[in-house]
Amino acid sequence: MKGFDLFVKLVVFAAIVILLGLLGYAVFGNKVFSKSSPLIGHEAPEFTLELFSGDKLRLSDLRGKAVLLNFWASWCMPCRDEASALEASWKRYKDKPVVFVGIDVWDDKDGALAYIKQFGGGYMNGIDPKGEIAVDYGVGGVPETYFINTSGKIVDKYTGPLTEEMIDQFLGKALSSLPLSGLTKEGG
Amino acid sequence: MIIKVRIGMVFYIMASVAFILGLLISNSIADDIDKETREISYLLMCPVCEGQTVAESNSQLAKQMRTIIREKLQEGKSKDEIIAYFVSRYGEAILGAPPAKGVNWILWTLPALSLLVGGLIIGLFLYKLKEDREKSKKESRKPPTQFEPEYIEKLNKELREFES
Repeated sequence: MKGFDLFVKLVVFAAIVILLGLLGYAVFGNKVFSKSSPLIGHEAPEFTLELFSGDKLRLSDLRGKAVLLNFWASWCMPCRDEASALEASWKRYKDKPVVFVGIDVWDDKDGALAYIKQFGGGYMNGIDPKGEIAVDYGVGGVPETYFINTSGKIVDKYTGPLTEEMIDQFLGKALSSLPLSGLTKEGG
Repeated sequence: MIIKVRIGMVFYIMASVAFILGLLISNSIADDIDKETREISYLLMCPVCEGQTVAESNSQLAKQMRTIIREKLQEGKSKDEIIAYFVSRYGEAILGAPPAKGVNWILWTLPALSLLVGGLIIGLFLYKLKEDREKSKKESRKPPTQFEPEYIEKLNKELREFES
């Protein structure tokens, strides 16, 4: 009976360990939406964005240039943290084959315009009123930034506020298909 | 004149019937789309809410996702195509239940396996308990084969005293 008791105890202990492990996997394992994207390595979904300037921007018109696609909202505090880095980077990359595009999501137009006035954003910015572009890119929060290479493929996704160094790193990768002479940064 | 009136009435009745039928059919299609939208929404997790499906969440993203599901159904997309679309954008984490493949098989088989192993352990334990009880019962019924000499002596002494 003693040996049997030990066996039962071991089995119960092993079962508890396995169950806790599986529970941990179920809770933390594949439920992280933001760390990666199934779109990486694939063609960036096409969209037409209504710019605040009144113009319309089609992603396919930017082919041949690297694109930094930043999803933001005026109520989002981490977006404010990265605003200055985005603005400064945009100024540095202005003359390079790089386009910065801001997409305002889950927001109202007035709030967004006030945000742009306060925090900058000289680059192209528009609103996605129905959230169609956001869902098409698998956006699960703001700020979220996608980096599209010159061939129109998504090479990286970053969730959270970006710094200038990070932008340089991601854009370096997005531009890597271009000749090195086109990659020299100003003031970097 | 009477014929014209009759023809007019027939057309009027036919148009009314067609209108009512059209209304009924469109309502039924709308009901089907509503039902399917709800069904699909329950299968997808809301990416910005903890533990809530797209159907349960009131977040703006969940609302927009429900609208997108409805629009895709209206375009004629099937349930599987819509789910595949969301998986292609958000990954398998968007699914309420993990697909039964790879490591996920463990998750699908574990409940049944736990019941089986648990049942087996309880069964073995009860069997062992029953066996031990029967063994101890049998042993208690058996006449003692050998007594300690001091007890025999004590018993003989008491018997002698009783007889005398």
